[in-house]
Amino acid sequence: MNVSDLSAPPRGRGLLIPLLLALLVFVGLPAMLAGFDRGYFYQIANLALIFILLSASMHLVTGVAGLLHLGHAAFYGVGAYTAALLSTKFGLGFTVTLPLSGVVAALIAFLVALPTMRLVSIYFAVATLAIGQMLYLVMLNWVEFTKGPNGIIVTKGLELFGFSLSGRLATYYTVATVVALCVLAIGRLSHSYYGNALRSIREDDQCADAMGVSTARLKMEAFTMSAFFAGVAGSLWAHMTGYISPGDFKFSESILILAMVVVGGLGSLPGAVIGALLLILLPEGLRAFGDFRNIMVGLVMFLSILLLPKGLLGEVSALQLARRQLGAAWRNTVKGEGIGWR
Amino acid sequence: MIDPYYLQQLAIGLSLGMTYALMAIGFTLIFGVLNVVNFAHGEVYTLGAFAGLVLISATAPPIFAVIFIALAIGAMAGFSLERIAFKPFRRFTDEASLKSRAMRESTLLSSLAVSIVVREALEIVFGSQMRSVPFEYLINTPVRIGPVILVTGDFIIFGVAAVMLIGLQYLLTRTRIGLSIRAVSNNPLGAKYVGIDTDRTIIMTFVVGSMMGAAAGILTGLYYGAIFPAMGFVPGIKAFVAMVMGGLSSIPGAVICALILGISESMATTFVSSGWSDMVAYGFLILTLIFFPNGLFGARRERV
Repeated sequence: MNVSDLSAPPRGRGLLIPLLLALLVFVGLPAMLAGFDRGYFYQIANLALIFILLSASMHLVTGVAGLLHLGHAAFYGVGAYTAALLSTKFGLGFTVTLPLSGVVAALIAFLVALPTMRLVSIYFAVATLAIGQMLYLVMLNWVEFTKGPNGIIVTKGLELFGFSLSGRLATYYTVATVVALCVLAIGRLSHSYYGNALRSIREDDQCADAMGVSTARLKMEAFTMSAFFAGVAGSLWAHMTGYISPGDFKFSESILILAMVVVGGLGSLPGAVIGALLLILLPEGLRAFGDFRNIMVGLVMFLSILLLPKGLLGEVSALQLARRQLGAAWRNTVKGEGIGWR
Repeated sequence: MIDPYYLQQLAIGLSLGMTYALMAIGFTLIFGVLNVVNFAHGEVYTLGAFAGLVLISATAPPIFAVIFIALAIGAMAGFSLERIAFKPFRRFTDEASLKSRAMRESTLLSSLAVSIVVREALEIVFGSQMRSVPFEYLINTPVRIGPVILVTGDFIIFGVAAVMLIGLQYLLTRTRIGLSIRAVSNNPLGAKYVGIDTDRTIIMTFVVGSMMGAAAGILTGLYYGAIFPAMGFVPGIKAFVAMVMGGLSSIPGAVICALILGISESMATTFVSSGWSDMVAYGFLILTLIFFPNGLFGARRERV
């Protein structure tokens, strides 16, 4: 199929927003951070980036595939613990632990998914809750292996093939690069034919099954991939903060991530990013008025479900935006090819 | 001869199971009527416990006044929970939207959000630390029966729970409001057609269910002597497990499974450290979901 057949906008315009975003993340923000030069701001920026990755990975399974996942933080924890244990017990560096922690989290998710993927709606939600709590109990109670509630101190900072990246700015750049790459991958996944297949499961799994979509397999893949990205986020967190404990991965963190996805708009990737930014930055901004972080999360979530059921940037507008931005690469019902990117 | 230790664990498990059963009934009633899961049910339990604690520290009431005030607060909590987290999402009252997926998911999330707000508000008011119950209110005076040593709390929990279960049975089968609850849970639209006020019935269901949850909260609080804002989370999950095991909408099933859960949990502490005992409930949940998707007692299709 020839691209010129489509009345699509020229390609140059399509790159404007991604370019601006990249400029902001890789030039604007670091300049501001370096200008203020306070460790606290760097920490907030890194935290926000990690939660963007977490909420984007949850978007894949909860937003796009429509499976309410209540144990996401546990896979984030699995990634963090993998990174921490590998680096303290075997002296492995960030370059190795980053992919490995993603793989371990994905592997556990795959094993867990094998028996539970037949479940639907509320049953699935409860099963993920139970799995998340089980993993949390392991982190908390298997003291010989995970050091239990004391947590683990990770001495190795961020590095790339032996080059240390442990300065403030270098850390920020590393986290930002990894997160940007992962979000890009999630974006391509959720805005492709593959993403549309996942959406079909969300809308009507029986119908999708009847049309030849392998729902169980797709669900399992979405679940596993989302755990992979959560594991990567965990590894970033472990090496960035240098200290992890089970408290970072408990149920309320899963709910925080869920709230980000819901507030931003279920099924919309830009929404998930905006939701993460809102729910990390808003409580930090209000810190002066006392510790209202969690109550804010609850209130924002409740109000957004009540007043903005579609979220801040709902799925339809997110898809329209994506379609406009990607211009020529988007195909719109071209001779039986369906809608999406190739 | 059975080791008295096991008999003792059995008794503890039974009273633990009874508190789970009280919680599970609330879940089951609400699920039966609306087909939704009320994630804020654990907070009702906490509210009941705190209501009792506040009353105890303000005056020195008899223990039945404490339970009564917990029930009253539970009823109020159930009423306002329904108004805040469930009513706004029931914009249309036909059957399709009463049991629709969008309604189910939005109320799931809204009750979750309300539960976070309530828990954090309690934490701001009372602090996140455990508050201990004054010594004279603890219901753990030892009672010796043959070789087994029990505490008064076991009897009180068992007695109160049994009275409430009988009361519930009476309410559901012998009164008009119970009849309308059963009618709505069987067929909301049909109930509406024959002139039942669905809205009022739903509120009544929340009130009854929350009263049971709040009673469980204050009884557990007095039994263990520790009350804290996050105390409702774990029993909430356990009660939910009991409901799922019992087949979602069968009250006898939920009660039996709650007792099984309580007993196996207290037995498990014999073999593993207490930190792992929560694993039992989660394990049960996963096994039930995989092998008995209809629940252990769901096949009978018994509704409320």
